[in-house]
Amino acid sequence: MKKHPRFLSLFLFIGVFIFVIVPFVPLIFTSLSFGWRWPDVVPQAWSLRAWEYVVNDGRTWQAVGISLSIALIVTAINIALAIPAANALMRYPVRGKWLFEAIIFSPIIIPPFISVMGIHLTFLRLGLTETVLGVVLAHIAPTLPYMFRALMISYQTLSTDWEDQARMLGAGAMPRFFHVVLPHLAPGIVAGASLSVLISLSQYLITFIIGAGQVVTLPILLFPFISGGDPGVASAYSLLYAAIAILTLIVMDAALRRYYQRNKATKEQAKGVKP
Amino acid sequence: MKIYPITAFSIVALALSACSSEGASEAPNTDSLLTDDWDLIQEAAQGQEVNLYMWGGNDNINNYLDEWVAPRMKEQHGIELTRVPMNDAQDIINQLLDEKTAGKTNGSMDIVWINGENFKAAKDNGLLWGDFTGQLPNFNDYVDAEAPEISEDFGEPVEGLEAPWGKAQFVFVHDEDRHETPPRSIAELAGWVQEHPGQFTYPAPPDFTGSAFVRHVLYETTGGHEQYAQPAAEIEDLEQRLEPMWQYLNSIEPYLWREGETYPESLAKQDQLFASGEIGMTMSYDPALAASEVLKGRFPESTRTYLLDEGTLANTHFLSIPFNASDKAGALVAINELMSPAAQTAKLSPENWGDMTALDFEKLSPEDQQAMNEVDLGEATLSIEELEQNRLPELSSDYIDIIEKGWTEHVAKE
Repeated sequence: MKKHPRFLSLFLFIGVFIFVIVPFVPLIFTSLSFGWRWPDVVPQAWSLRAWEYVVNDGRTWQAVGISLSIALIVTAINIALAIPAANALMRYPVRGKWLFEAIIFSPIIIPPFISVMGIHLTFLRLGLTETVLGVVLAHIAPTLPYMFRALMISYQTLSTDWEDQARMLGAGAMPRFFHVVLPHLAPGIVAGASLSVLISLSQYLITFIIGAGQVVTLPILLFPFISGGDPGVASAYSLLYAAIAILTLIVMDAALRRYYQRNKATKEQAKGVKP
Repeated sequence: MKIYPITAFSIVALALSACSSEGASEAPNTDSLLTDDWDLIQEAAQGQEVNLYMWGGNDNINNYLDEWVAPRMKEQHGIELTRVPMNDAQDIINQLLDEKTAGKTNGSMDIVWINGENFKAAKDNGLLWGDFTGQLPNFNDYVDAEAPEISEDFGEPVEGLEAPWGKAQFVFVHDEDRHETPPRSIAELAGWVQEHPGQFTYPAPPDFTGSAFVRHVLYETTGGHEQYAQPAAEIEDLEQRLEPMWQYLNSIEPYLWREGETYPESLAKQDQLFASGEIGMTMSYDPALAASEVLKGRFPESTRTYLLDEGTLANTHFLSIPFNASDKAGALVAINELMSPAAQTAKLSPENWGDMTALDFEKLSPEDQQAMNEVDLGEATLSIEELEQNRLPELSSDYIDIIEKGWTEHVAKE
């Protein structure tokens, strides 16, 4: 990679600082302050009340676990759905392709509230409300488009020639997918998965309506405090939420890096063995 | 290969239909609980898991239920009480309406915390179980069932469908160090805002508290609440009668926070303005809220509450059991326990919540009375006697609708 000019990286750093780091400062102050009033720029007294409540409440950690499990299951299902869909739509001459794309992308345009109201009655009859399964199914609609979009772009740059070549060398369908297609899709999958996890983690309304209070995710605990006006506890929950989201992204990114490093290592090994 | 997805789909469909039909047959006939002996009910309640659906935006209230009530419920009655946080009681009603439409009989809401418009909506749509309060020993022993604030909820007859849990009364909140003599009537307030421009505002209706402030203006500018005891539809010249209220609200508007160009969208926002010192007054439907905010360090130490000379609105909040609650026996025992003198005394302390008791003080034993008197309400809270002697009745919800819509038209848009 070409090295950026110095002023550009400085500019980027300032941009990141202002838009990403600075907004966290008042959140940290609010969650830790005891009576923070105008005109004090920095709180004069500190209190751990909000954090004690958030950390000691057993539901917080239960909610973190449930939020993450739902997000990961949703993402796994999205990958399984989006790979064949992107494959079919990008590589075969499908008639009415725009229609299929429109259907898959529609959740981005149509507010989730509208669809979830209808889904709720159906799920009630099927006994899917108040279950993690129901919430997972409901989360797929708003997250799938992002996964699909990322994979569509990955497939656009993957010529079928590569697979044809592998086939000529005698590779079956499975090895072709795992050794030719998947490595090429991996960055797209991680990009899509990051979005899918983040969007699933941030769902309030859908989780609330389908989960009906029995599936308690982090936003379900957080929202009453935002609207009820306890900025201390709301800030503490928001920080916890942000930390978990960032941590998940870092872990996913690290997994991708490891995957590439391992691949590189095995390739180099293979080279070394050959005469 | 082609058969595979079809088989998978039918297996899922079968499994799902099995789930839903199982759910339907599970619902036991529980109406006998409305007439059974209390001992039988207590026995049936053993080991039940009771879900209490309630607004979850106050850490004190949450802690009171999770740490004070729930362990005692488990110890004394073998009931697992779970608090389910909601953002708005309105959501509870919407949820129940959908469940009723879908015919769900084994609902997970066992107790719901409601009052006013939500109670009326629930009652009108048949979402509540039945006349159960007569079964509760603590209701029979300690509650004055004839008192208007118990027998009616915002003008709607309660008919035993919900049990009183606590009482609320409107108070104004100010900082003694900044404004020594706050206005004690709506008329005085008009002069006060001119002397202190930008120091007063109220949350925009339909915010619950903002709407209540407007009702105080209504009572004082149009000559008392007595005339509104009849249904709104029966007053022919209602528009004209409300006119002085709109005039008053428009006349103070230029002196409000940000010249009345905008109003705080919720009480939470207004409290934030007061907490940060941007305005000099706020209001609350919870007389002890200011005291508990002082304890949290959010409001200054010199915060005080006060009433209008003509009194302020008061109402009662209730616990009810939905039509499809799965653990009705447990719900009955839990509600009875929440109404016990011990639980009500703990609830009174601002450290726990600071909510006024729904019980009739006269009916309590001398020991219980003393325990309640000994609770330190905090300096910001008025005495229970002062609050009790200055109560104004609530309007019924048809008026509230008219006023809230009228406010947008006459005040916000002009």
